[in-house]
Amino acid sequence: MSTMPDADRIPAGPSAAQEPAVELAIRTEHLTKIYGQRLIAVNDMSLEVPRGSVFGLLGPNGAGKTTTLRLLLGLQRPTAGRAEVFGKRCGPNAIAVRSQIGYLATNPKMPGNLRPIEYLDLLGKLARLPQEVRKPRVSSLLRAVGLLGATDQRIQTFSTGMCTRLGIAASLMGDPPLLLWDEPTAGLDPSARRFTLDLIRELGKTKTIVVATHILSDIDQICDHLGVMHEGRMIFTGSVQEIQRRIRRDDVTLELEGDPENISRLAREVADLEGISARHSATRAVVVRIDDGRSRSRALAEVLQHVDACDLSLQAIHSGYNATENAYLQLLQEDEAHGFQR
Amino acid sequence: MGSSAKTSHLGMKMMPYLAILEHDLRALWASRLVRLWLTATAVLTLFLAASNWTQFQDATLIASLLFPYLVFPWFFVVVVLGVSPVSGSRAEVLADGILSRPVSRTEYLLAAWSARVLLVLSVYLVVTVPTIALVVLAKRPVPDDAVTIFGIVSALAVVGLVLTFLVSLGFLMGTLLRKPLLAAVVLVFIWYPIGLILNVFSLEELSPISLSRAMSTQLRQSLREADTAPKSSVDAEQADAFARQVDHFLSVFSSPQPQPTATRPEFFEGGGFNDFSLLRVILGYGLPTLMAVALATLFFHLRDL
Repeated sequence: MSTMPDADRIPAGPSAAQEPAVELAIRTEHLTKIYGQRLIAVNDMSLEVPRGSVFGLLGPNGAGKTTTLRLLLGLQRPTAGRAEVFGKRCGPNAIAVRSQIGYLATNPKMPGNLRPIEYLDLLGKLARLPQEVRKPRVSSLLRAVGLLGATDQRIQTFSTGMCTRLGIAASLMGDPPLLLWDEPTAGLDPSARRFTLDLIRELGKTKTIVVATHILSDIDQICDHLGVMHEGRMIFTGSVQEIQRRIRRDDVTLELEGDPENISRLAREVADLEGISARHSATRAVVVRIDDGRSRSRALAEVLQHVDACDLSLQAIHSGYNATENAYLQLLQEDEAHGFQR
Repeated sequence: MGSSAKTSHLGMKMMPYLAILEHDLRALWASRLVRLWLTATAVLTLFLAASNWTQFQDATLIASLLFPYLVFPWFFVVVVLGVSPVSGSRAEVLADGILSRPVSRTEYLLAAWSARVLLVLSVYLVVTVPTIALVVLAKRPVPDDAVTIFGIVSALAVVGLVLTFLVSLGFLMGTLLRKPLLAAVVLVFIWYPIGLILNVFSLEELSPISLSRAMSTQLRQSLREADTAPKSSVDAEQADAFARQVDHFLSVFSSPQPQPTATRPEFFEGGGFNDFSLLRVILGYGLPTLMAVALATLFFHLRDL
């Protein structure tokens, strides 16, 4: 199913994306979708997704992720702005665009009366694949997603995980160079989730993939680029490294064992040290923030001396824990705080 | 070689249309509504044929067999079948499963419409054609009737056209209104007083009741009669009648209606039904059918999924 060699992949951030050499898989300009003059689902969104990237479209529920994907597919019409996929304009009758896209909906709805082979064969016909291509591909995809044992069952008897696997196979039926997967891990058990993430990693070597999700740990594992949506707007686009760089990395969390009174005392004593602030965050944890300009190692050495002095035992020490999640939450907070400036 | 390549190209082009058509036909055939309808229509047809076997002449008996397709309840079943493809829970399956693939909305709509028309006509013909053949060929204790092959074919075609129109009307409503139940209810309220509505536009000859009353006459019509009739005068008469109907139709919307002169005999006056015009019926149902499909395509194209 290879469509593009690894050499063509462009691990670029937004600044690089503006260079003419970068080939774009998706490009939107001022894309806006307003439902019935009441709800702004997508708000003036300009987005560029480099070809060959695994792009995480991140945002809370109702942020406009699904609407964005449906606009790209031509299932919905934009109120304003435009969207292009591989340079072709999206729209309801844009067959050429949809032939380049493999779409996986959240908990995909499929014709329940069909069996998996019949369903994939139907999709192969919709993609105008000749029989000699269609039949072997149906078989290889069913094997790849682990549904060979369920070929005699009707889709209506499938579990959520099986439906998602079949949806994944369906999105790959036309061997498209671009995959739009909407919350592909929603409702999956841990093994199915692991399977899906591994598959995205594997497919990401040869295809452009956009994964819309609000599960941050998935993004951390599979994506090289990110877009964060909030209330219909794209509030950040760039590489995963860039978003992680945005948060303060001078936080250190100490997990301690000992008398809670002593832990509170430690927090107070550390907070009195020069260039260091501290707070007792959880029952047995203290978050220490080291100001800019202070040596992290010296500051930490001083803090650890106080740990001993307070008769506490250090269980673990974390720095920048779940950076993407923190960065994401920080972005959302900043966006909400900006008010009219948005 | 060139011809085969051309065929193959055409085959590839038509592949999505044919795939959706086949899929929809299979789904419709699997539905309880269709199976119940087929059973009910077969039982009713056999019942009508058996109960009137020794009473009615061929034309009257055949007309009585065709009557249920023009009135409640079969019209309702046909309308419901037309409503379903792009409304209700099906819309989600449609968006996720079919329209997110390389298929145009026009292709999908035409395939779904064709599937419904094919299914409705199949059910109708599968039941009526053998029964009509039995009625015509069997020796029954009733006086001979002058039913013609042309008359039977044209009567079947007229009812088939009305059914196609009903499917298309349901199709249009299903596209306009997202809730299938609401669309079906609206259609019932439109179709029930259709005689009254057509009367306003002087189109009462197109009403289902008028059609069913004229059916016996049409069944006795031969192709030669239609051919040998003074053609120019028939054409002129039909053109004149059609023009009058169009004028009247437009005048209802544009200006106060002129006082009726009442010089022409009323349609079907005296029960002779000799001025039944196949052409006007074909135009009267054919044009709205095409219009309904075109409007459904337009509305569906503009609609978000």
